[in-house]
Amino acid sequence: MSGASGHSKGSSVKDRADLALNNEFLRKAVKYTTEKLKGGKLKAMEEHGNWEEWRERGKQIRLHTIAHLDYYLNLFVDNARANGVHVHFANTAEEAVHISLSIAERKNAKSVVKSKSMVTEELHLNHALESIGVEPVETDLGEYIIQLAGETPSHIIIPAIHKNRYQIADLLSADAGETLEPDTKVLAGYVRKKLREKFLEADIGMTGCNFAIAETGSMVLFENEGNARMVTTVPETQITLMGMERIIPSWADLEVMATLLPRSATGQKLTVYMSGITGPRRSEDADGPEEMHIIIVDNGRSLQLGDPEFQELLNCIRCGACLNACPVYRHIGGHAYGGTYSGPIGAVLTPSLQKNIAEWDDIANASSLCGACYEACPVKIPLHEMLVYLRRRKVEAGHGNKLESAGMIGFSKIMSNSARFKAILKLGKMGQKLVARNGEIRLKVGPLKGWNSHRVTPSLPKKSFRDQWGTMEAEIRNGLQEMAPDMKNRMEQIVKNREKGGGNGHGHS
Amino acid sequence: MDMGTANQSHQEWLKEMEAASRAKQTSFIDGISAKLRRPMVTEPPRHPFRGAPDFWNAYEWGEQERIDRFTANFLSVGGHVERLATMEDAQRFITDKANELSAKYIVRQNQPELEALNLEGALPDAQVSVWNSDPEQFWKARAAEADIGVVIADYAAAYTGSITVLSSKDKGRSVSLLPTVLMAIIPVERLKTRLGEIMVHFDEGGRASLPAGIHFISGPSRSADIENDLTIGVHGPGVVYALIVG
Amino acid sequence: MKVSLFVTCLSDAIYPRVSEAMVRLLARYGVEVSFPKVQTCCGQPAFNSGYWDDARTTAKTIIEAFDDCDFVIAPSGSCTYMIHHYPKLFEDDKVLHEKAIKLQNKSYEFTQFLIHVLGVSDVGATFPHKVTYHPSCHGSRLLGIQDEPHALMSKVKGLEFVPLPFAEDCCGFGGTFAIKMSEISGAMVSEKVDHVKETEAEVLVGLDMACLMNIAGNLRYRNEPVRVMHLAELLYEGVKQA
Repeated sequence: MSGASGHSKGSSVKDRADLALNNEFLRKAVKYTTEKLKGGKLKAMEEHGNWEEWRERGKQIRLHTIAHLDYYLNLFVDNARANGVHVHFANTAEEAVHISLSIAERKNAKSVVKSKSMVTEELHLNHALESIGVEPVETDLGEYIIQLAGETPSHIIIPAIHKNRYQIADLLSADAGETLEPDTKVLAGYVRKKLREKFLEADIGMTGCNFAIAETGSMVLFENEGNARMVTTVPETQITLMGMERIIPSWADLEVMATLLPRSATGQKLTVYMSGITGPRRSEDADGPEEMHIIIVDNGRSLQLGDPEFQELLNCIRCGACLNACPVYRHIGGHAYGGTYSGPIGAVLTPSLQKNIAEWDDIANASSLCGACYEACPVKIPLHEMLVYLRRRKVEAGHGNKLESAGMIGFSKIMSNSARFKAILKLGKMGQKLVARNGEIRLKVGPLKGWNSHRVTPSLPKKSFRDQWGTMEAEIRNGLQEMAPDMKNRMEQIVKNREKGGGNGHGHS
Repeated sequence: MDMGTANQSHQEWLKEMEAASRAKQTSFIDGISAKLRRPMVTEPPRHPFRGAPDFWNAYEWGEQERIDRFTANFLSVGGHVERLATMEDAQRFITDKANELSAKYIVRQNQPELEALNLEGALPDAQVSVWNSDPEQFWKARAAEADIGVVIADYAAAYTGSITVLSSKDKGRSVSLLPTVLMAIIPVERLKTRLGEIMVHFDEGGRASLPAGIHFISGPSRSADIENDLTIGVHGPGVVYALIVG
Repeated sequence: MKVSLFVTCLSDAIYPRVSEAMVRLLARYGVEVSFPKVQTCCGQPAFNSGYWDDARTTAKTIIEAFDDCDFVIAPSGSCTYMIHHYPKLFEDDKVLHEKAIKLQNKSYEFTQFLIHVLGVSDVGATFPHKVTYHPSCHGSRLLGIQDEPHALMSKVKGLEFVPLPFAEDCCGFGGTFAIKMSEISGAMVSEKVDHVKETEAEVLVGLDMACLMNIAGNLRYRNEPVRVMHLAELLYEGVKQA
């Protein structure tokens, strides 16, 4: 069993991460899979070409839709109703659960087959269904495994990324009542057979929603296994839970999303199945659900609307590329984040959806702010900046760490005044006399404990740069060359251009 | 309880739910407008970034390249592709394969082009059912027990190696989903370069023109959920033949 | 033309040799560098930890230190990029906001300055060693330094360049991250050093002493004899050798 599988173990991200770091298998498995997915994405991007243009287009479509979400959501709802869909609105998780359960009760449902949906994970809908005696069956292979293990997904796209085939064979053998070989084909074959029965006997099929097309009222699902098609084809009733921000205006816009999403998620040109479902079965059709419900869920999403620092979070298309690119995720896996969504997007989304910044103590700190998430994001969400905004809001709300707050006041006191900075350096040099050997400090106590458990710290040199500057400057001035005229011209030209209001052309702003 | 009244009360319940939903819609959408700090937008906003970039919309391959690219893409994900000159060739291929696989049950869409293949006559040992041809049948079960499902693609896209099938009374969603083997005939003139050339029909036709199910199929069902080890044929057909005809 | 050195606190306190190499190298082209002594730190530790009031205090010191010069040069992509945050920090202060934008537009990381301002890629250095390069995240991803260091290294005689596997992966420094999340950071830097070892390079260069201090610290901890240098040091040493 994975040492970091449950949320209860370890109270903070740091504790859970430490558990994960001590789990050799978990680290290796997550590393292997994320590297493979990341490599697949890079290859797909290169093969497709013009990736930056596509990325920019994706971002603009998402920005436009979210900026007019009221219009497009109304349009979607009108069209979906015209298609014969029963549309519902849920402000909170409780409301969404209540509506789902009411439908299940009305339908006298015994079982619900589900295709992968992160929204239903947010709502903890499986537990709710069980509580009224309805059996929820996850049908995505990875989700089925996770459900048997009584766990939650640790990756948006690969829910069982943290499990190896032996653990999976154990789980499925217990389910089968016979020993199954730890062979992928055998294990997947068992699940296919088992779930076939479940599909055929289920009263309700439940799905998430990758995109909802406003102009035609269609909902779109991307998947590889065919289980989402099963769920939307076989049972008599379909319930789709959809985050209110999943909207795109048109099928033309879907082409852009279909270009970005699979390539970013797995490096595929398109998932094996992409289904656009427009209403329940037509009366003369012989398959498809007779009754179709779409529940539009807010559950904290509107908290980001109108917030200039976080609104772009709603642009997320849930591809998981930021997880695969993140060096922190790769080392600690998804469960260490402690929420429904993990990785960089989870580190920002979880506290934003819940608005209890204080409670999500150190989740925003579990990032080195390296920006790999932003670089990987197909719709250019600046997650690395949002992490800093979260940290700032926590401090502003008075939830900062007391010791750290005191430290930062000290920091700004010292750093706002060069004389103080100089004095501190002098103090440091005196202080290190006791601990520095051959220009190094190896002591593992106090603030250096964590750092020096993996590294050696350099000691301060005898003279800082500012101490040396006087002599250095005199020396340099003595031997200074005349600047070449073309170089001088260049520099003057750059300054002139700047005055004309042009940017500097170096670095992003 | 009498099913008639149960059904009626269910319809009434749905009506109640709808009334509640419409009431809720107002506050829900108003809330969004308020968060966006402006009155509700009721006119279609200008959408300057609709769809793919312009350079992409001009991208097109010739017929042979479409065939070659479709083939390469479909093969690379574990599908099979046959290039056939006529529907007679398609009939021969399907019957040969069915015999080779000892297929007992075959289900096909109810379309004249498939009727013309006369699979029933060519495969006397197999039971060939025609989708939704008899309202008394439980068609989902017929499809589920089938060894082979035979469909005609409405469109295909070479760039992604995708077959598009649209549902109707005569074209079951189950036929391309539940059988073990899927055979999809692609009339060559339906093979486009880009997905966008297919999507445009749905935008232009509009809501009322759309069927309940539009499915893009890009190879056999697969999963990499166990140790990222690729498995073919998890829930959907594990063997998929694309027969490009014409 | 006034060119000022933004020494960065790390180079000032721990690695004076880096800024010295940079200043001496630039002097060979007639660039007279001034050093405004009132400067301290860019404020990044406070900014990234969410203490923006404290970050503003130090940022103000930097803005004023460089108010009168035409170019600011720094031996760090990360500290240079921190200046790009100043306009947001002073959103509500018209005067400082404008000054912050000006400062951003005239601030250059060392290799950017050499290549894009001076137009120099061949400094005439000789450095007959096997060298690998770690592109620091802020410099490469956010500030946009891509080919500049490679353009400079490719002109160094005798230098054998070995690409670093997974070069773009963060080394795990991340400022206070290395202290707060020391175990994750430790795992990241160990992985980085594994990759450095794979290259069998004698020297690891970079453009940010914070990252290099982190990697060098782990190399020393594991008693790996790889020499760690800022590219400015390498170039200056190579010029002296030539």
